[in-house]
Amino acid sequence: SPEEIRDVRLKKVQDLRGLGQEPYAYGFDRTHFTKDLQDLYASLPNGAEDEAGTLVAVAGRVLAKRVMGKLAFLSLRDDKGQIQLYVDRTRLDASQNEGFNTVKGLVDVGDIVGCSGTVKRTEKGELSVVATGMQVLTKSLLPLPDKWHGLSDVEKRYRQRYLDLIMTAEVRDTFRARSRIISTLRRQLEDRGFIEVETPVLESVAGGADARPFRTFHNSLGRDLTLRIATELHLKRMVVGGFERVFELGRVFRNEGLSSRHNPEFTSVEIYQAYADYNDMMNLTEELIRVCAMEVRGSAQVSYQGVAIDFSQPFRRVTMADLVREACGLDFEAAMAAARQVGSAEAAAAVRSAPSLGHLLNEMFEAVGEAGLVQPTFVLEHPVEISPLAKPHRSKPGVTERFELFIYGREHANAFSELTDPVDQRARFEAQVARHNAAFQERQKVALDTDFIAALEYGMPPTGGLGIGVDRLVMLLTDSPSIRDVIAFPTMS
Amino acid sequence: MKRAGHLFITSLRVITCRFASKGAHFPSAAALRPAWATSCVLAESWRRHVSEMATGEYVLPEQWSEDLKDENGEPMSKSEFKRRQKAQRLAAEKAEKEAAKAAAAAAAPPKPAKEDGAALEDDASEITDPTAYFENRVRYVNAKKAKGINPYPHKFHVSMSLPDYIAKYGSLESGQQEPETTVSVAGRIFSKRASGSKLLFYDLKADGVKIQIMADARNSDLSLEAFTAVHNECKRGDIVGVEGFPGKSKKGELSIFPRKFVLLSPCLHMPPSAHFGLKDQETRYRQRYLDLIVNTDVRNIFYTRSRIIQFVRRFLDTRGFLEVETPMMNMIPGGAAARPFITHHNDLDMKLYMRIAPELFLKMLVIGGLERVYEIGRQFRNEGIDLTHNPEFTTCEFYQAYADYKDLLGMTESLISQMVLEIKGSYKIQYHPEGPEKPSIEIDFTPPWRRISMVSGLEECLGIKLPTDLESEEARQLLIDLCAKHDVNCPAPQTTARLLDKLVGEFLEEQCVNPTFICDHPQLMSPLAKWHRELPNMTERFELFINKREVCNAYTELNDPIKQRELFQDQAKAKSAGDDEAMFIDETFCTALEYGLPPTGGWGLGIDRMTMLLTDTCNIKEVLLFPAMKPEETGPKEADS
Repeated sequence: SPEEIRDVRLKKVQDLRGLGQEPYAYGFDRTHFTKDLQDLYASLPNGAEDEAGTLVAVAGRVLAKRVMGKLAFLSLRDDKGQIQLYVDRTRLDASQNEGFNTVKGLVDVGDIVGCSGTVKRTEKGELSVVATGMQVLTKSLLPLPDKWHGLSDVEKRYRQRYLDLIMTAEVRDTFRARSRIISTLRRQLEDRGFIEVETPVLESVAGGADARPFRTFHNSLGRDLTLRIATELHLKRMVVGGFERVFELGRVFRNEGLSSRHNPEFTSVEIYQAYADYNDMMNLTEELIRVCAMEVRGSAQVSYQGVAIDFSQPFRRVTMADLVREACGLDFEAAMAAARQVGSAEAAAAVRSAPSLGHLLNEMFEAVGEAGLVQPTFVLEHPVEISPLAKPHRSKPGVTERFELFIYGREHANAFSELTDPVDQRARFEAQVARHNAAFQERQKVALDTDFIAALEYGMPPTGGLGIGVDRLVMLLTDSPSIRDVIAFPTMS
Repeated sequence: MKRAGHLFITSLRVITCRFASKGAHFPSAAALRPAWATSCVLAESWRRHVSEMATGEYVLPEQWSEDLKDENGEPMSKSEFKRRQKAQRLAAEKAEKEAAKAAAAAAAPPKPAKEDGAALEDDASEITDPTAYFENRVRYVNAKKAKGINPYPHKFHVSMSLPDYIAKYGSLESGQQEPETTVSVAGRIFSKRASGSKLLFYDLKADGVKIQIMADARNSDLSLEAFTAVHNECKRGDIVGVEGFPGKSKKGELSIFPRKFVLLSPCLHMPPSAHFGLKDQETRYRQRYLDLIVNTDVRNIFYTRSRIIQFVRRFLDTRGFLEVETPMMNMIPGGAAARPFITHHNDLDMKLYMRIAPELFLKMLVIGGLERVYEIGRQFRNEGIDLTHNPEFTTCEFYQAYADYKDLLGMTESLISQMVLEIKGSYKIQYHPEGPEKPSIEIDFTPPWRRISMVSGLEECLGIKLPTDLESEEARQLLIDLCAKHDVNCPAPQTTARLLDKLVGEFLEEQCVNPTFICDHPQLMSPLAKWHRELPNMTERFELFINKREVCNAYTELNDPIKQRELFQDQAKAKSAGDDEAMFIDETFCTALEYGLPPTGGWGLGIDRMTMLLTDTCNIKEVLLFPAMKPEETGPKEADS
């Protein structure tokens, strides 16, 4: 049992100290990563030793160990790859007293060791370090799991992510890819003259999206705060302040349930560009995603859960109303036009707000249109009612200059020509707050962000804004089925 | 006033650096020279061409033909012919206008500007009451909407940023214009003055720089009446788009001469006046957008902040570190000693703490085999707000397997000294620790930096010898006496760790103006650091102090799980004894350690404090875009009150 193994290994900790070897060493001077040696000695033939006899030093975790008489074979893995340690009693003991017995008796699978020696390739073709020095750097107390792959308890993988990383190469690759995707996004934006900024996580008014926020309390201010649900309103204040191209790549929080696409904290990038509109943002979105795909998959055509997704072509652009008409024949454009024709302005307004055709269109889209959008598709022109921060369309009444990007039936990006009219903004906020407070009653009252409206009153240039869900993009580009596969430590119940 | 002047100097320095490093966006002077040279040559040939036409040496025929030759007998292309034809037409029109103007001037004496309703308005005609001002502008916007005109246009194409415009046309000579070039720029109006009934001067600002708009009715596509109407709609503070041609005024001011002038977003409030600016600190922080509009130097602080973070990221990326993200909400707040924020997840009905440090998660990733990881991100501490503390702040932490604190000492020196050199252009910086009105000090980042071993340093300073066993009650009593003797205040609970911390603050940190490492902290102050390999009861740890403030904290990581559990239990005891800043026991982390953490060096940097040093600011609020503020006493202010 693990407890018995732990006791045995604790005894080995004592034994090592008894031999004058600290089982938790302070450091190790590594000369090469294992990958460096694999590259350096790629042409070393089977059975040959490095003739120069260069002394190398590697360090990493022992993943396997076999002892055969006077020989022991350990496989060692580090950050970049793997190599075999070839431990020959005669050669090791010649330079390190009792070296072989230490390896045999006191080194276990799971330990972190440092090994110095020369390089050879075995007859079987395994590149190896022939040990002339072996040192336990960190004694592990618990054994590595026997069966990790195909583990039925996926929860355990997320709860003990470090074991998942040790045992599974794909998991390590996923987090390396995540890091590359984020740095690619950042570099792309910086190359276009955007500056990265940091806006508050703790806010007195949560705004910028319609979602339930987390609440907390600041002791010394004696004040309730909420965690941001979006970075939008602060970033737009920056644009008002003259930062014409800004972005923030960071965590946002929504107090909602867990699912394969939702974690309470997730990473988004929001981008604002003065003097751009939603058309410009569509082009930017295409380029950003295409470059990320090239960077981590080496191609603009990728496979996700067995489905080929093609980023190489311009993404399809289609309005929400057209999609719904295609899917079920309902013609909202005509319906909206008809609704505007009903007698007086008051009557038209009443029809439109009952509760609203816009909401109906959106619900219809989610019901019949969304799931079928497998290839990258920009869904355009959302109704005004569901887009409180987007500018009304320049030529089509009732809809906004907005798009959402759908891939594999999932929303990946959301963008608009930003609403810059403070009077219109205030009216839309008031409607939203009223609706929200009616829906949630006393429990989750929200307030109007009057300071944001004041900022708009000082004049915001015409601006395009874009938000991309980073976790979902990483899922897509690493072929991961769940958001928990791309968050190192997902929230667990 | 002193303050503004001083910050202005800082900002100049910052601008110089920014231009030097951002090659792509802000071309260096050397890179620009060819572009300037080209435009000068063009302008020169243009002038020559015009003068030739005037002297009649060469006459352009009315039609282009294949065998057409220029003044030098060279064949002339069709496009060159068209260009010359257009220039000729323009020159003729200009001459005609000037003749007409001269004739009109001769015929009638100039009218006083205000006599009829169509006079041009400028800053001098501004309404001075803020409420009336706001109402007037809202009326204007509503009137436009009523007429079916959108006062907030959807798109204005900007062909060139103002910094690029200045780089490209800054070398024009006084009075020189390029009417054949079309450029469109946009920005915010900072001042407006009329000169007569046909000419307006605006200051247009964007990206922290300024050019002049010289709006002349004679260059506009509009009738004089329409011209006057368009420009009378525009007020100081408005966002406008201008399409026109570049040139310099006779006084040498770089300008754009508009053919088209579009109001893109009106400023409904009276902007702070150019003369008095915006100085009130509360307003500056609460309405940061106004601060950024009015005070150019503030903008530069955030550019420097961004460059500091970029520098750290690049430094670590080139050394093979992987940037990762770990949770901000946890079941247990671990990795540091501080009061956490508490929140609640509704669906899971679960209490969560906001993180106070990412340390434990990052070490778990090292256990998982990611040998070099870092995270730059927000941390949260539920503590008071003062000159150096904000409830949320930004840190960088990195962890490197097989490195120890000695390796990190060297890395810290090179990272920070190189950063200072790149951003400030020198290892030595001027800093005003008590604000711009008080004297400045010099901080010298030239490596190597002084290293003080904590306990022996303190012993030397106080001329005493501390007991080897710092855990003993005897040691604690001695420290209480020392604090009393030297008048050092240590509020309860008077634990050995807290007493030592106060004495070190008083006697060692005070010496650390230039970057100085205080090293080898006692184990009882450092529950996550590894015991020192030579000094008993001490750890392999250092803190970097600059201007007497902690900027970095690093150690050889404790990776013995048995020892770690013991130290966590000591912390738990301290907690139950009343030290609510002591750490929680994190069982998950202890279990992870039992799988084996390689020897690892770990390091943390306070990004906000580093930014304060390099932007010469002494209040953390200056380096945060939207600092946490006390609620306003009158409650939330209505924007249109």
